[in-house]
Amino acid sequence: MRLTALDEQAQAIGLKPGQGLAEARAICPHLVVIEEDEAADRRFLEALADWCDRYTPLVALEGSHGLFLDITGSAHLFGGEAALLAEILSRMTALGMAVQGAISSAPGLSSAVARFGESRVIEDSDIEAVLAPLPIAALRVGADVVQALAKVGLKQVGDLLEAPRAPLARRFGAHLLLRLDQATGLDEEAISPRLPVASLSVERRLAEPIQSEEDILTLAAQVAEALKPSLEARAAGGRMFELVLFRVDGKVFRLSAGASRPLRDGARIARLFAERLTGVHDDLDAGFGFEILRINVLRHEPFDHAQGDFDGDDRKQQSLADFIDQVSARLGPECLKTYQMRESHIPERAVVAVDAIQHALGKPQRLPEAAPLDHGHLLQKERPLRLFPHPEPLEAFAVEVPDGPPIRFRWRRLTHQVRRAEGPERLAAEWWVDGENAPTRDYFRLESDSGQRFWVYRQGLYDQVANPRWFMHGIFA
Amino acid sequence: MARSALAQETVFALRETIARLEGKPIPALAAAQAQAVAEGQERTQDRPTRLETGIAALDEALDGGLPLDAITEIRSRGFFDAGSASGFTVGLSVLIKARAPKAENLPLLWISDRMASQEAGAPYLIGMRGFGLGTEPFFQALPNRLDEALWLAEAALASGAFGVTILETRGNPKTFGLTESRRLALRAKAAGRPLLLLRHAAEEEASSAAFRFLTQPAFASQRRLPDGSMLGGSIGPSVFRLTLEKSRNPAPLCLSLEWNPHDRRFNCVDTPRHAVPERQPAAHSGALFPKTFDRPDLAPAPGAVLAFDRPARGRPDGSFERAS
Repeated sequence: MRLTALDEQAQAIGLKPGQGLAEARAICPHLVVIEEDEAADRRFLEALADWCDRYTPLVALEGSHGLFLDITGSAHLFGGEAALLAEILSRMTALGMAVQGAISSAPGLSSAVARFGESRVIEDSDIEAVLAPLPIAALRVGADVVQALAKVGLKQVGDLLEAPRAPLARRFGAHLLLRLDQATGLDEEAISPRLPVASLSVERRLAEPIQSEEDILTLAAQVAEALKPSLEARAAGGRMFELVLFRVDGKVFRLSAGASRPLRDGARIARLFAERLTGVHDDLDAGFGFEILRINVLRHEPFDHAQGDFDGDDRKQQSLADFIDQVSARLGPECLKTYQMRESHIPERAVVAVDAIQHALGKPQRLPEAAPLDHGHLLQKERPLRLFPHPEPLEAFAVEVPDGPPIRFRWRRLTHQVRRAEGPERLAAEWWVDGENAPTRDYFRLESDSGQRFWVYRQGLYDQVANPRWFMHGIFA
Repeated sequence: MARSALAQETVFALRETIARLEGKPIPALAAAQAQAVAEGQERTQDRPTRLETGIAALDEALDGGLPLDAITEIRSRGFFDAGSASGFTVGLSVLIKARAPKAENLPLLWISDRMASQEAGAPYLIGMRGFGLGTEPFFQALPNRLDEALWLAEAALASGAFGVTILETRGNPKTFGLTESRRLALRAKAAGRPLLLLRHAAEEEASSAAFRFLTQPAFASQRRLPDGSMLGGSIGPSVFRLTLEKSRNPAPLCLSLEWNPHDRRFNCVDTPRHAVPERQPAAHSGALFPKTFDRPDLAPAPGAVLAFDRPARGRPDGSFERAS
């Protein structure tokens, strides 16, 4: 076992990362050692990244110890770069962490200064002056490169800045120069944010934290109302919303809710979250309250300005949309289904279930292979009222060979005596889906002597299969 | 004098309360409504609350027709009767959607129990269209728990977006008692929308449903040929054997109805041809050995009595027919 990280006191004793545990214990017998848990560290860093979401939506993880915040365009909201840095550092310190930070025009430079320098804001004019005294390790290059450079006497970044570039590239690889250019800002470096950036976002910071559900919803309605001008400017309405709640102690809750048609109205957006909050009631622990409330529009679509007609059809559509949103927000979008027909003669493929929130309203998004609207040919055949999603095997006795129905069959441990039968209706398999050897089905409508009507089929033909199996596929009224 | 007037007032107040509980028109309110109409105000309730089924005996027993603002319960004795119970429920829905004013373009919501969907199969859209349902969208809700299903039914009724709401449950769960059904009934009354409660494998139980039907399967009619004769051995329109268990009539009404999906109406059919004979007696052979005698004491018959003997019954006639 080796030491991986040390606190200030341990460093003062003279322990070093990478040292063996036994050796460290020999130096300091009362050493407190905690086993490293990378997953927990990762979770903690992600929670911090969530917390940093209050400063900018663009937060990226940097390795396992750092965070990049892209504050382009958001620094002025906090009183300038210096004030922003001071606030982040003081609040993080208040959360009980030792933090260092730097603001500059290049991520590489910020990373180098935050790790090896002092917390500060770096102007573009003194990049080189700041960078020069830092050790080579600040450039985020491998330990072997650092060692090799040290052997030839290059220990600080300033040494590299003065050295000719071509021999450096030849001897230590192009990666070193790339890192050097990224630190000086000559080369672009992209950071990859953890979460997708919302297309629109509004938030409210509160002086006094709120706890109750009513307060959250009232505030959400007010905040959502502020989305309206931006949505109107885009001629759009939101389909997918996210409510982000920042708790006082740093925990962040995210709730998302979808709408079946584009929405703009603040009250209706808030109603989505009312259902959603009821659905997750126990999981949302308000603790000492929430200090920031934000609503993001994750997806938006063109908003139809439909003119209302006199018979109130629009109002009916509206109430249906409200109901779908309500159910989808509270019980999840997969709870409410609607059906679409498809061009297929296999019974279970002819109808597909789709989530109502996606397909019920507005312009119907037709699935590929969707059947034409006129499907009279399907209705001419007798089809059962209820269909088993998975056909259930049954034992058929006294079957008329080759294509007759069974006279008696046993299904779910009950024997049924067939009184009347109709069929067969032969449905060949779809060779373009199932392959050429898929068995043919012969469907029969049977009426038992207790009055029940069934839809059963025989899989395969007698001249192809020695002992074809029988299945129950549906029941008639 | 004053005392009797006071007593009369109490009686009127009680009558009014009872009428309100029962959902009947209150004379005083009706008079006020009539006055409002006379004064040119818009009436709040301009929809009829009953839908005639077209069968005189049934309409009479239902006090003028199927209620459009209340719960109608349809129960079956077991999952083996799921087909007829579902069929009758869908038939009623189609009837309501076809005949009731302002319900024709509204979608249908089927709130199903997951267990029931596994036992009896999921509603099949093509089959329901073939049964007479129109082309408007059909919604199916699949809640995980019963309280979610009840909430869904209530929300659906309150939204007024659905012409018919079907709530399918299994048995008589404890969490769906009189309180919950009363709540749903009030909601249906307030919204003026019908709720069909489909209970599989259920007992008779007190509830706030206006009417309760017991459905049992019956033999289907034969297919009618163009010349008016019947095609022997064919399985034609479905027939349901119904018992109206709960209604204002004291005597339960029994009748067999045939559903005609093309005209979207029920027809009353003569019972004997469609009646299903009693179920076959269980295969129980009784005591296997003759009783012993000439012994100190009679030994008890071996085995427990599981079922009593029934009079032997031959197989029902029409042994096996088949249509080509």
